[in-house]
Amino acid sequence: MNWLKRIFSREKLYADLSDEIQEHLDEKIEELMANGMPEAEARLAARREFGNVLAIRERGREVWQFPAIESFFTDLRFGLRQLRKNPAFSAVAILTLAFGIGANTTVFSWISSVLLNPLPGATHPERVVALEELAPDGESKRTSYLDARDFRDYLKQIDSMTVAREMAFAVGSDTVIERVWGELVSGNYFDVLGVQPEAGRFFSIAERDDAPNAHPVVVISHPYWTSHYHSDLSAIGANIRINRRTFTIIGVAPENFHGSMPGETFDIWAPATMFGQVNSGSDWMLQDRKTRMFRALARLAPGVRIEQARVEVQAFAHRMAVADADTNEGMSATLLPMWQSHHGIQMSLLGPLSVLMSVCGLLLLIVCANVANLLLARATSRQKEFSVRMALGAPRSRLVRQVLTETLLLAIAGAGFGFLTAVWLSDSLRWLVPGTGIPSLARPPIDVRVLLFTVALALGVAVLTGLVPALQAGRENVNETLKDRSRSGTSSARTRRLRGLLVVAEVALAVITLVGAGLFVKSFHLARGIHPGFDSNNVAVAHVNFASAGFSGQQADVFSRRLREQLSHEPGVTAVSYSDFVPLSVGGDSWEDLQIQDYVPGRSENMKIYRTVVAPGYFDLMKIPLIEGRDFNMQDDRRHDPFQPVMIVNQEFVRRFIPNHDAIGRKVHGWGAWFTIVGVVQDIKYFQINEDPIPYFYVPARQIYRPEDGMTFYVRTRGSVQQAMLALRREAQAADPTVPVFNVTSLNDSIAGALYGQKIAASLLSVLAGASLLLACIGLYGVMAYSVAQRTNEIGIRVTLGAQPVDILKTVASDGLLFTVAGLVIGSIAAMAATRMISSMLVSVSPADPVVYAAVTAITLVIAIAACAIPAYRALRVDPMVALRYE
Amino acid sequence: MKKSEQRDLFPGALEMMILRTVKRQPLHGYALVQRIKRASNDLLQIEEGSLYPALQRLLKDGLLKAEWGVSATNRRVRTYKITAAGEKHLEREVTSFEKMLDGISRVLVPVKS
Repeated sequence: MNWLKRIFSREKLYADLSDEIQEHLDEKIEELMANGMPEAEARLAARREFGNVLAIRERGREVWQFPAIESFFTDLRFGLRQLRKNPAFSAVAILTLAFGIGANTTVFSWISSVLLNPLPGATHPERVVALEELAPDGESKRTSYLDARDFRDYLKQIDSMTVAREMAFAVGSDTVIERVWGELVSGNYFDVLGVQPEAGRFFSIAERDDAPNAHPVVVISHPYWTSHYHSDLSAIGANIRINRRTFTIIGVAPENFHGSMPGETFDIWAPATMFGQVNSGSDWMLQDRKTRMFRALARLAPGVRIEQARVEVQAFAHRMAVADADTNEGMSATLLPMWQSHHGIQMSLLGPLSVLMSVCGLLLLIVCANVANLLLARATSRQKEFSVRMALGAPRSRLVRQVLTETLLLAIAGAGFGFLTAVWLSDSLRWLVPGTGIPSLARPPIDVRVLLFTVALALGVAVLTGLVPALQAGRENVNETLKDRSRSGTSSARTRRLRGLLVVAEVALAVITLVGAGLFVKSFHLARGIHPGFDSNNVAVAHVNFASAGFSGQQADVFSRRLREQLSHEPGVTAVSYSDFVPLSVGGDSWEDLQIQDYVPGRSENMKIYRTVVAPGYFDLMKIPLIEGRDFNMQDDRRHDPFQPVMIVNQEFVRRFIPNHDAIGRKVHGWGAWFTIVGVVQDIKYFQINEDPIPYFYVPARQIYRPEDGMTFYVRTRGSVQQAMLALRREAQAADPTVPVFNVTSLNDSIAGALYGQKIAASLLSVLAGASLLLACIGLYGVMAYSVAQRTNEIGIRVTLGAQPVDILKTVASDGLLFTVAGLVIGSIAAMAATRMISSMLVSVSPADPVVYAAVTAITLVIAIAACAIPAYRALRVDPMVALRYE
Repeated sequence: MKKSEQRDLFPGALEMMILRTVKRQPLHGYALVQRIKRASNDLLQIEEGSLYPALQRLLKDGLLKAEWGVSATNRRVRTYKITAAGEKHLEREVTSFEKMLDGISRVLVPVKS
């Protein structure tokens, strides 16, 4: 360990070197004096001949050091001292950096958990892909159990495949019922995802057959095991009542596993073959190729790329489309990486998160420019320090390194605080996720990936902020600076120009973020103003789960009619009805393949038309105008012989499918029967507030019964919605205490989700844009204030020579305004280009909206003028006497 | 500040000269510098101090040994001696230097004639 010894014996080596040099000089002087030179002259000559003693000693010492590391530590110590010496500067720089880095890290932690790690707990999750079927018009669909089985059995490029369907279970005895979200899955689910049980076992080979209702076993989640069984192993083998059927718990999933829908968490997994048991005995879902209700996940075979497997999937889907033409005609299928899958929260978050990440990136650039600016301002006052060091023989590269070390220190401190902020804010992803009913992954894990991102960010920031000041360091002429004793720290024209450029960049970046925020604010404002086509005020809603009560269609009908009757007697209630879907809420993508009399669909036309099951009085209650025909009535039931099914369609349906628009009396085929159109209602917004009209139809609840969807009861009241909500809950319990009632709320609240993305984008981006404008103006103010301070004596002289206040103001303010206008122009042009990417996320706003640009220009100008005003005012108050005394 | 008329030595040149000089006779720093200057007829303007970092490098690489002692003029001096490794190193360096010089002169000769 030679180098170790060297470190410890280094003091001796250094001392030897110093002594030696001293002896050398002494000997030289002695010799020169012996030749008759006077002592003083000899000393000078000796030194001249020798060279720079300090630098040489330093270079001699460096031989024994690990130069890179050790001078780095020296720089570090010196940097720390510098930061301590200027606490105000350090605090401002560190805090703004922390703000910028914190915002970026937080958004990245969201992205990391939602997009980069969509299946936590799975082994090699990157090999797991989503298999989605495609309707003739390319719309993504789920798959049916039968289709999935064929895919599973015939695909070669796929190692294994599983299906899953999310479902709310009613768990517990008849009186204490809890709603628990789980998945119905095929037996190999855990194998495909590569998950090992935390306790007990997963589904055995015997439990993996396709025999319906044969295996009443479930796997529970780790959190559920902890909260309901105190993590006790006795839970394995215990019975659990789910939707009034008894299941046996066979195993517990590991702690970090939450299911197969990105961002959502599930607590129970039961075999898909048990579908009938948890849905009142109806297992048509497993036997009907048209009932596409499952999500399919596949694990790619070893060495196979997703593109290769996709070709096979497409080819096979086309074969199925021919072989099962009655159900699959025109259908195709594709494979998607999980983060592109249409199921889970990542789909709704992909757009907003990428916009957020970009804006945070811009914000960080502004922060960097600001800190660089501060550093440049400080560099001017440190010129002497640098000059002295250069005079003593420090190479310029050393000064550059010194500045970079200092910015690295700042960046690391900022990143530290930023990382803490991100940890503290990690819970906040919840705010971004619209309520789907399914509990979402509330706390994205702050993992190594996020930590690495922060570190990378800190390094990037250090270089970005340090580069300009570092290159500037030591550029000044040493002689000039040292000679110039009268004014400490004037900056060169070059530095001033650099700082000006930085301010222009800052303003430009701020303008981009402002335009983005402005567009989203306007979009949100307009979206809020769009009338959904129904009146959501003064309506209470509650979801009733028939499936978990094990109701038949008959029982559901009896219950619904009784509840409706009781509610209509409540004081203030003006209307009661029910349907299986609340417009503009989440879910409700139920559709039926229709065949319409006298209408021949185009080759790739999607005839899978969305529908809602409604009770009589629904349109009246929702205030959806009936254009022609009649509403459903209580006689629209199954008792007639022959069965006379009816439907009501919307205007878009008529426009699209009914020639001559004489809809009433036309026949439409679905569910294996011919329905008669009895009414036409106005279009409403079904899924999104900004959607184009969608063909849509309604069928009566007494003719079509789908227990798995449950029913939503609506109560319109003259009184308070709160009262109506209480009445709903109370009367539902009274009608049948075993029927679980969930999500009792107001209709306004339940459709708020439709505007959720808009609202979040508008408010978050406003905050970020406000922050960037503020930072840009601080930068502007800094530069202006500094330039006024620099020019104090110039102003003094000009005032003495008779300059008017206006002239002074002009000189001072013109620089600031020039910077601002330049920034505005550049920023606006960049914003035009950048915002084109978000146009699909805007509601009725063009990315080039002139009002937004005008507003942004106005705001920026006002704030910029304010930022210039204070320094300008100070310039006006310059007392010539005081100013000139500096000279 | 460097004097413009001063020629930069190529890397390793100073070390080579030090080794060569010390090989002939162990010397201390000051004497070493005077010896090199004289031997080069003062053609090589060596900044006296620049000798010391070079000496430190040679010490570190084990090509020289140093010992404090007293000189003939009764002065406390640190005397440098070449080591076996130093001799080998010097031999290698001189050979490669001569090759290089030979190559350079071959290129330069035709121009002069």
